[in-house]
Amino acid sequence: MVDFMRRALELASEALTAQEVPVGCVFVHNENIVAESRNCVNATRNPTRHAEINCIDTVIEYCKLNNIDYNTYFKDILVYVTVEPCIMCAAALTNLNVKEVTYGCANDRFGGKTVLDISEFYKNNYILNGNLLADEAMALLKQFYKGVNPNAPESKVKKEKR
Amino acid sequence: MSEATEPPGKKAKMADTIIDNVIENIMHSKKNLTAVLDDDFYKEIPLIKVYIGHAKDPKEISRMFQVLNEKVPLKEFHHLKRARKREILLCPTVFLDTVMPQSIQEFLEQNVDELKDCFEYFKEIEVPHKPPLVRKQYLECSKHWSINFHPNKYLEKLISDDFFKNEDLIDHRLFMGMAFEVAKWYQNDKKFTLEDIVKGNINAAVVVDPKNRSVVAVVCDNRYEHPIQHAAMLAIDNVAKTQKGGAWSTVVDSGTGTLAGFDKGMLMHLKNKFREVNYGAKMFVSKRDDAIQSEDSPYLCTGYYIYLLREPCVMCAMGLVHARTKRVFFCYDNLSNGALKSKTKLQCVEALNHHFEVFTGFL
Ligand SMILES: [Zn+2]
Ligand SMILES: [Zn+2]
Repeated sequence: MVDFMRRALELASEALTAQEVPVGCVFVHNENIVAESRNCVNATRNPTRHAEINCIDTVIEYCKLNNIDYNTYFKDILVYVTVEPCIMCAAALTNLNVKEVTYGCANDRFGGKTVLDISEFYKNNYILNGNLLADEAMALLKQFYKGVNPNAPESKVKKEKR
Repeated sequence: MSEATEPPGKKAKMADTIIDNVIENIMHSKKNLTAVLDDDFYKEIPLIKVYIGHAKDPKEISRMFQVLNEKVPLKEFHHLKRARKREILLCPTVFLDTVMPQSIQEFLEQNVDELKDCFEYFKEIEVPHKPPLVRKQYLECSKHWSINFHPNKYLEKLISDDFFKNEDLIDHRLFMGMAFEVAKWYQNDKKFTLEDIVKGNINAAVVVDPKNRSVVAVVCDNRYEHPIQHAAMLAIDNVAKTQKGGAWSTVVDSGTGTLAGFDKGMLMHLKNKFREVNYGAKMFVSKRDDAIQSEDSPYLCTGYYIYLLREPCVMCAMGLVHARTKRVFFCYDNLSNGALKSKTKLQCVEALNHHFEVFTGFL
């Protein structure tokens, strides 16, 4: 378990190097990592390209290539992500019926539990565990937010910081 | 001839006609749209019990005010005026629970001795506990007591169901009609049926830059092939493509540059059908590529409107928050999954860093 989160943290630091919000994620199936990714919102100019979304894409592609029914496959997926999934990702993972989500630190800006608990109105919820290597995950975020988002226009950066 | 034995061509034609009727209704209705606002604006304001005293001498009222405001301030009840004619608001009845006197007379003797003989009699009445947020609530509240209320003009307009000027309304209705046209166009390609469009969960999206009345991207759901490729998620990616980004290569024979948000065939069809609007995004100037960052250069969906057939799910709605979409318009409620009206109102979650406006009521 800790090893999977350590891998997710490595991916998060990769994101930091690439000037992206440092979040990393791995999807585990039968004890094996079947997808791993990190945030790439700035590179794609698509604010939905979170680590979890990228992993979902990888799994779907893999299932299609190997003629596996992804609906069944996702039911056995365990998600390890350095930061609590945001409302969008939490909803996506809920809809896909993943088995379990384990996160590092809580997400008090966008969290799908902390900011808006989506399990209150979406059924079929996964098991959610938090606080695995939370300090490491938080340290990376703090490092990022010390700088500024390089892609936002000046005025917007200022507004956000206010 | 029963439906089952009809040739598929004919069935598709029938579907087209039905959707054409829906488009016709949407585009020609004169009805204004409805803003989907916080439930708090529609709720009854809860009441709280207070003591009031009937002043013996009306000339004394302003002096009584001063003394009371100093010695028994109303604190969180600033929306309540201190007096209504000769009735003076003394304090909420719960004040007495904490200070122990037996009666309001005793309370006055202990706390505001100089006023102890100023009242003819006391009464317990109910007044609004919280300030009214909109005029309608204010009118309700005023029946109980005199209220301080400063209407927010913009909010009053939003809640009035008379928000859009006629020329804007025509545009919103046109772009929503276009969203249905998009769904119709992709119907055969994406292997869904008319039922899916009108009653199912298939969605389509038209993204518009209202500054120049220009359509930036159009997409249709691909959820049967890829479970997270809902229309709004695809729309956000297509907008990214107009900004030299994008992650999904779902657009077949897509345009390039400012027209990267469209399939070429689709664009041609729309240009023919909806001649009165513009097509394409504003030129994107990357901060990294170019020393001169234009204030005008698009950034995500900032300033954009999105028109959706149906209320987006939580994933899509939050995607639109991340994208900083300015306004979201939808036609059908999504009772099982909708995140802007049916299941929750994401636009009203204060903790989030961006809040778009939501409008519906096309039919
Ligand atoms: Zn996310
Ligand atoms: Zn959706």
